[in-house]
Amino acid sequence: MDFELAPEQIEFIQQPVDQHIWLEGPAGSGKTTVGVNRLLHLLSKDIAADSILTLVPQPTLGVVYHQAIRNPQHNINGVVDVTTVSGLAKRMVDLFWPLVVEEAGFGKPDQPPIFLNLETAQYYMARIVRPLLEQDRYFESVTLDRNRIYSQILDNLNKAVVVGFPHTEVAERLKAAWIGDDGQANVYDDVQDCANRFREYCLENNLLDFSLQLDVFINHLWSNEQCRSYLQNRYKHLIVDNVEELTPLGHDFIKEWLPDFESSFIIYDQDAGYRLFLGADPFTGERLKESFEVQETLTESFVTSPDVQTLEKRLSDVMERPSHASAYGDAREVIQFEYKQYHPEMINWVADSIAQLVHEEQVPPNEIVILAPFLSDALRFALQNRLEASDVPVQSHRPSRSMMEEPATRCLLTWASLAHPDWGFPPTSIDVASALQQSIGEMDLVRAQLLAETLYWVDDDGPHLASFDQLKHNMQERVTYLMGGRYEGLRIWLNDYKSRKPEPLDHCISRLFGEVLSQVGYGFHQNFDAAKVASNLIDSIQSFRRVAGARPLSKDTPLGKEYFELIRDGVIAAQYVKNWTLQNESAVLMAPAYTFLLNNRPVNYQFWLNVSSPGWWERIFQPLTHPHVLSRQWKVDAQWTDTDEVETNQDTLHRLMVGLIRRCRERVFLGLSELDEQGMDQRGPLLNAIQQMLRNLAVEEDDDGL
Amino acid sequence: MAFKPRPAQQEVLNYESGKMGVAAVPGSGKTQTLSYLAAEIIASGRLKSDQEVLVVTLVNSAVNNFSSRVRQLVADKGLLPNVGYQVRTLHSLAHDIVRERPGLVGLSDGFQIIDERAADLMLEDVAQAWAKAHSYMADNFLSNTLDGNTKDWVYRDKWPDQVKILARNFIKRAKDFELTPNDVASHIGAIPETLPLADMCYAIYEDYQRALAYRGSVDFDDLIRLAKQALAYDPEYLMRLNHRWPFILEDEAQDSSQLQEQILKMLAGPNENWVRVGDPNQAIYETFTTADPEFLRDFLKKPDVKDVELPNSGRSTLSIIKLANQLIDWTQHDHPNENLRKSLSLPHIEPTPPGDPQPNPDDDPAQIHMIEKGYSPDAEIKAVVDSLERWLPKHPQDTVAVLVPRNDRGTKLAEELRRRRMDYIEILKSTASTRHTAGALSNILNYLGDPKSAKLLATVFRVWRREDRNDEQANTQMLNIAKQIRGCVRLESYLWPQLNQDWLASLDFEGEGGEEAKQRLEEFRLIVRRWQAATLLPIDQLILTLAQDLFKEPAELALSHKLALLLKRASAMNPTWRLPELSEELKVIATNERRFLGLSDDDMGFDPEKYKGTVVITTMHRAKGLEWDRTYLLSVNNYDFPSAMEYDQFISESWFIRDQLNLDAETQSQLEHIYNLNHPTAETDDTKWQEGIATQQARIDYASERLRLLYVGITRAKKELVITWNTGRRDSDKKTPALPMVALRNFWENQK
Repeated sequence: MDFELAPEQIEFIQQPVDQHIWLEGPAGSGKTTVGVNRLLHLLSKDIAADSILTLVPQPTLGVVYHQAIRNPQHNINGVVDVTTVSGLAKRMVDLFWPLVVEEAGFGKPDQPPIFLNLETAQYYMARIVRPLLEQDRYFESVTLDRNRIYSQILDNLNKAVVVGFPHTEVAERLKAAWIGDDGQANVYDDVQDCANRFREYCLENNLLDFSLQLDVFINHLWSNEQCRSYLQNRYKHLIVDNVEELTPLGHDFIKEWLPDFESSFIIYDQDAGYRLFLGADPFTGERLKESFEVQETLTESFVTSPDVQTLEKRLSDVMERPSHASAYGDAREVIQFEYKQYHPEMINWVADSIAQLVHEEQVPPNEIVILAPFLSDALRFALQNRLEASDVPVQSHRPSRSMMEEPATRCLLTWASLAHPDWGFPPTSIDVASALQQSIGEMDLVRAQLLAETLYWVDDDGPHLASFDQLKHNMQERVTYLMGGRYEGLRIWLNDYKSRKPEPLDHCISRLFGEVLSQVGYGFHQNFDAAKVASNLIDSIQSFRRVAGARPLSKDTPLGKEYFELIRDGVIAAQYVKNWTLQNESAVLMAPAYTFLLNNRPVNYQFWLNVSSPGWWERIFQPLTHPHVLSRQWKVDAQWTDTDEVETNQDTLHRLMVGLIRRCRERVFLGLSELDEQGMDQRGPLLNAIQQMLRNLAVEEDDDGL
Repeated sequence: MAFKPRPAQQEVLNYESGKMGVAAVPGSGKTQTLSYLAAEIIASGRLKSDQEVLVVTLVNSAVNNFSSRVRQLVADKGLLPNVGYQVRTLHSLAHDIVRERPGLVGLSDGFQIIDERAADLMLEDVAQAWAKAHSYMADNFLSNTLDGNTKDWVYRDKWPDQVKILARNFIKRAKDFELTPNDVASHIGAIPETLPLADMCYAIYEDYQRALAYRGSVDFDDLIRLAKQALAYDPEYLMRLNHRWPFILEDEAQDSSQLQEQILKMLAGPNENWVRVGDPNQAIYETFTTADPEFLRDFLKKPDVKDVELPNSGRSTLSIIKLANQLIDWTQHDHPNENLRKSLSLPHIEPTPPGDPQPNPDDDPAQIHMIEKGYSPDAEIKAVVDSLERWLPKHPQDTVAVLVPRNDRGTKLAEELRRRRMDYIEILKSTASTRHTAGALSNILNYLGDPKSAKLLATVFRVWRREDRNDEQANTQMLNIAKQIRGCVRLESYLWPQLNQDWLASLDFEGEGGEEAKQRLEEFRLIVRRWQAATLLPIDQLILTLAQDLFKEPAELALSHKLALLLKRASAMNPTWRLPELSEELKVIATNERRFLGLSDDDMGFDPEKYKGTVVITTMHRAKGLEWDRTYLLSVNNYDFPSAMEYDQFISESWFIRDQLNLDAETQSQLEHIYNLNHPTAETDDTKWQEGIATQQARIDYASERLRLLYVGITRAKKELVITWNTGRRDSDKKTPALPMVALRNFWENQK
């Protein structure tokens, strides 16, 4: 890797191994490259791998470090820990559980902790909140779907711990900032009550959601002599990348621990802070800087050209925000757009432009990204269709993708409900036809429907699948004996399964997949996408079973049935976060703009879609929480007004825009349509900023002419 | 064509600042003038770079009309188009306001606006449940002349519907008053009287709102109420919008509701740069809303409002103008019911001055026909179609419309035209474009829900080749192929044949066009295979896939996109729905009026000039803003155009309700009564609520609106006008010609 490095980068990397260093710079200035090489440098100086702790704000940002460590060229012995603060917290809680279980107030000191992920935390939250919603009319004046009620209450608990205030003060803080309808203030009381009940329930049952893991770690373990000396003895060298994306809790923790390390290397991105809504706080991050004697800055961009930098500068000027970029180039050289009336026309333009780049200009597809403030299913599908039609490989990444929307999930759950007639959820004949179409190799919809309509029925005893032999001869011919044979294979498996003692749902699906569906002649055979979906589903059921099974709702309801209902109603498993690293390396990426930013990877071409959408500017509104009011930067008791809203939105848009531009080498394509996806004409602040910039440039050109 | 303003229009264009009210007559070019004013303001440099002229109008089609006009005018002035103005309906404006700060009113960013049909279904559930649980309520209001069987039937079928209608209008009105269910409850609790209708509707309102909240949704009426609240809660937000929109131009201000007026007043802010243009005589959307032309009339009279008239219209012949003016005069001075004399107001319509770019058509008084004879309903239709049959061949280059007061009359007329194989286009409940797009998609979904049906696949083929209909030869071939598909007994042997069992190979394609037919069928097979595979996708993605194969027009594609989102929502709300139900839902969209936000069913606009020589059938309401060379007005009798006379009957007074009560009006007045007592002013009448008064007032309001509707109908005609009436369905209860029609006919006879 060394040959790519600039002299100043090498200088920072090769600082003495007992040095504490603060390194900052804008995106694209090569900071992470320096960080990775600093790690390799430490290792090359015979520092033990397991004495180095590398902290990143989220696992995806650790990928480059993992890759460097695993690279056989570097010949590394031992394990370097690349983790997040909460990852570390969870490990410590697990390790030192007996030391704190009583002190932290858990109700079952003799039992192990149960760690909750997002899905399972939602599940327990739903258990607690649902009766309050239904019987006690909680949250009555809020228009919000239930999942988001659950997730926002969880979010408040998280904010309390990462910002550092008691979770019992959430409502008080939110109310103090509120200026709208008085009734809304009552909603915050509901939030508080639910949060308190959830926390009590967790303590009682040894359940640890994300907030409680951090809380136990910081407030009980970090002050515990045994745990602390374990950490101090284990880790001697610290590397932190993207420290601005850490929470105040993370910053406090690092600051306190810092003197114990022999060396440290902290990397700070000057204009980032994209995880603000997750509690990140670039300001407390920047304050860490005071603790360092050696403070270095990288300024030159390794990514952007002078024209691209000028675009950043020009847009920043229009938005009246400072920018470090230079303005020697011509911003118009690096933007390209056409104004379309309808949204589908804009999508066509984007697809055609990309096809041209890939096929005529030989641009590698992975050097192109398509970004939008939100990536709706319809938008994703429309683009995917068009790009695939022009032979351009494409992949999308959305942090939240409903599992129920995967046809393979629906197919598997259809068979699961047939295998468990006692659940009382017999599928419709259309569902069965669709599942047959997917499950049996070469099965078409017409024959699938013939089978479903003639051999599947539901009566008082539940659903039934009859044998292929029971069909009349001419119907058998229509379906064909080949398909009939495969159908029989599936049917016999299901009947066989039903006749035996019930198994956990994940086992059932896993066996169905392994013994039938993935076999030759069946639909999942060598279908890797479907296999991935099946494996995600099995993982999700498994983690649900482990966690919910430990504290079952009732002995009478099978866990599988409960899972089925929850996934059907969208309570859990609605957001299954796929691993970023599974992505196809050579495809055009479609993603929400923030997801792309958090992935921190520069590309040659960016397509910004729906430029006129106000979504580029507005924050995600969460009626039950507030990322700014519940932050350390907020003055408790101040009121949140429109001025605050506008200021933060302008900041956010600017931050986003700068972040994107700095990750673009060649050109930004602007997708503009007068009417948006829903047929509305929108003129959001991003569009206005770009227009204003163009107007200014036109005026300057006129002046030059004089 | 360059716009040359008339002197009256120029007066509007001279506007600089402050409040101005413009009373415009039909055809006076008010929309054009207002567009021009917007362009002038933009070009004058009065706006900062972050400011816009806000144009507010009534319906979506007008938004598009406005946008394209202003865009053109702005571009003509050498400026960037699409900058410096924003055209909105009140609903989309409210949506913008709420969307930008949803948190202020307790909404999340993902809040859904439920469309009217879904809202109606929800209300139906709630109302029926209530009616069932409180069956005694009906006894208070049913007529005691009903016999046992009829009564049972009314209990079962009619009363629950009635309850729903009462609740729907009550809820609408409560939202206009900005009352939540809680507010209504505390208002009811604060007065000593018992008002059973209000109690009932309150209970349903509460359940309905809870059902909405459960789905994370708000309805259209909530949107307006919440927008106003958001502005009230955060003065800084309002100030920002005041800055963003330093000029507000409002079209169709006669249909402005109180809430709309309040919101625009707030948005106009301290500068009060607010131009309101409208024609109080064309206010026809008042029933069950708080809209009232009086608001505009009052505005025009205010001392700080500069009021301007646009009296000149080049649309119609002098004869038609004379007739319309006479309707105003007769109403004001001679209407036998004095309560109705304010229904129409001055100014009179004046022809355009000499040299005007839009001169009035040459006058021909012989082209005014007010038929004295009272037809039976069927005979009326026959007479009109006879007349069209004679007229059309002689006027292939002219436009003609038949305007009906109600949809069902239009449907009857369409049937007769179809029977006689005459060209027509109907825009009744929904526009042709929505129906075609939604209809095409619905047919395909219907097939995909039953993929082995040859009959349905044949229909799909016809949908796919629908353009062949325009060519006789192609049409014949298309129908032949469809017939062949229909005859395919085992569809799998066509679509997914096994080796040596291809149905296509067994067909005889000898003779002319055979090869082409074979190709068509092969092509079609590939497409259907793709569609079948797409059934695995979520519904919105399926619709988009179909649309890509079916439609080329951007407008159709955009509409498909909209339908895709709509069905996605329907499917999310009804998780058990599969293709058959979703196809059914699309069919409903295709045939019923359905209000969309943004791109609406009448979004493509309607241009009568595109339909020369074809009969256009539409309602008088939908005809607003349009014009035709010849116009027929049907059913101008005392049922559709009552005059609030003793003998008149009213649609809202159901036969099964006692004492000819208009329960709807009675319910609304209970709400108003409760509201007034809780918000007393100097004029508040604190006497007890009395049954029957509201029914009487509703008659007057309705008759008044119908007079204006007649005025709108008459002023659609450019050269020729035909007015007919019928005696109604029942011989025992014959209708008479509408009083205004009689008066106009007498006037016309005297003119001769």
